[in-house]
Amino acid sequence: MPFARILVAIDGSEASDHAFGKALELAELTDATLTALAIEGPLPAYAATVGEVEEVKREKDRFFGALAANARSRAEQAGVEIEVELRPGHAAEVISDYAAAGGYDLIVLGHRGHFLRDHLLGSTADRVAEHAPCPVMIVR
Amino acid sequence: MSDIAIAALLAGTVLVASTISVEIGLSVALIELFLGVVVGNVFHLAVPTWLSFLGSFAGMLLTFQAGAEVDVPQFRREWKASLSIGLVSFFAPFAVVGTLCYFALGWNPRQAEIGGLALSTTSLAVVYAVLVETGLNRELVGKRLMSATFVTDIATVAGLTILFVKPTIWVIPFAIASVALIVGLPKASPWFFGRYGNRVIEPEIKLVFAALFLLMWLGGRANSQAALPAFILGLVMSNHYVKHRQEQERMRVVAFAFLTPFFFLKGGMNVSAGALWANLGILAVLFVAKMVPKFAGVYPLARRYTAPHAIFTTLLMSTGLTFGTITSLYGLNAGIIDRTQFSLLIAVVVLSAIVPTAIAQRFFHPHAETEQEHELAHERPVPPVPAPAQEGVGS
Repeated sequence: MPFARILVAIDGSEASDHAFGKALELAELTDATLTALAIEGPLPAYAATVGEVEEVKREKDRFFGALAANARSRAEQAGVEIEVELRPGHAAEVISDYAAAGGYDLIVLGHRGHFLRDHLLGSTADRVAEHAPCPVMIVR
Repeated sequence: MSDIAIAALLAGTVLVASTISVEIGLSVALIELFLGVVVGNVFHLAVPTWLSFLGSFAGMLLTFQAGAEVDVPQFRREWKASLSIGLVSFFAPFAVVGTLCYFALGWNPRQAEIGGLALSTTSLAVVYAVLVETGLNRELVGKRLMSATFVTDIATVAGLTILFVKPTIWVIPFAIASVALIVGLPKASPWFFGRYGNRVIEPEIKLVFAALFLLMWLGGRANSQAALPAFILGLVMSNHYVKHRQEQERMRVVAFAFLTPFFFLKGGMNVSAGALWANLGILAVLFVAKMVPKFAGVYPLARRYTAPHAIFTTLLMSTGLTFGTITSLYGLNAGIIDRTQFSLLIAVVVLSAIVPTAIAQRFFHPHAETEQEHELAHERPVPPVPAPAQEGVGS
């Protein structure tokens, strides 16, 4: 089954790095367009100073800027067309909604495993697999 | 418990608060305040003199920083639209809470004024964080909201300085020093910072600290409070900090690492959990007395100036945290309010930081376009940095 539009979730972790590599390979094989989606977590809630908010925001901007640049550079080396998007919110919800709105054929994401959190709340990968509008590839 | 034992306990508490803040994404100040309540009530600790001193100075530094964080050019553009919202946001709860405290709760006039001031504030930082997250900080509604918050803040610090003054001859040197610093520091800064700045010994931070200590000392001798000149000093220095971001960042590092934690811990340690438990009804009444006039006063103006986000605007103008805490701590330190009144005011201040913000985000989220994220994704490469705490997508 050919994939025309692939969405890969990235967060800078080793697991997501691995997933991104697999998504690149797949996009190259199927001549698909690739979108790398990063999810920005919330700013400190109920901050007491503007400085606290500004510093965290600046830190996030730098981190996601580097993440986007890295994704674009790797895609260019692989000869794959890529878009890099950043969205705020809760990871599983944003990935599923973004895939549905963009008409993606496949979602690729990593699984790094947090024993306690996965058993208590379920992992992001589990939740995306449950709610995604298209096939999901979880890379271990 | 000895001073050094208390210092060790509080240093550990500050460290725990920082790690919790990073892990759960909640403001470190709120956690420090909460842990201060826990430490104070579990260990039955009285606030030692050194902590009170550090906390008082940190409060003044927070006031200075709040002034320095105001976007003055933006305020100049939006002040007409924001003035009415900001003033009503201050005066409506001030009048209602003050009247309630005096007539219904039996507080004396000065206690009622502290109550009115503490609960009339709007939190610039809480508003700013929500605006940045929604992307509204780049839109007219966000700019007006920030400017209105500034108006409310300056009304609060003016009230704090003017209402409680019992003039002595020291008012004259206090006024002269305030004016001299407000006029002179921005002019002297380029030369002083150019010659002595950018060094690890940080003369520029020491200059600001010296100015704030001077204001605190003269303010105290004048039976007044240095909040207003400290805030205005920050305000006139804001343009300098816009041009020299690193200086502002370094001052924040000093403040967040060593000073402001003790301010919020001190606030928390003075809260009596027992007094709160025994006065839950009054707590609820005070909370309502803050929220209702904010709504009644701000909402009609918000419909005119920040439509279609009038309810969102009103809810955010109802938030409060730092200046409410500063005002309450001033009242306690000056012997104007007792520990029960302080506990009630701090509890309402914290509730007002959380409840309206949560309602605004949950039910009245404006869903503004966040083009910045898109732009960011197309920026040129920058050096890698450690990942900020966030919900991972690879988990």
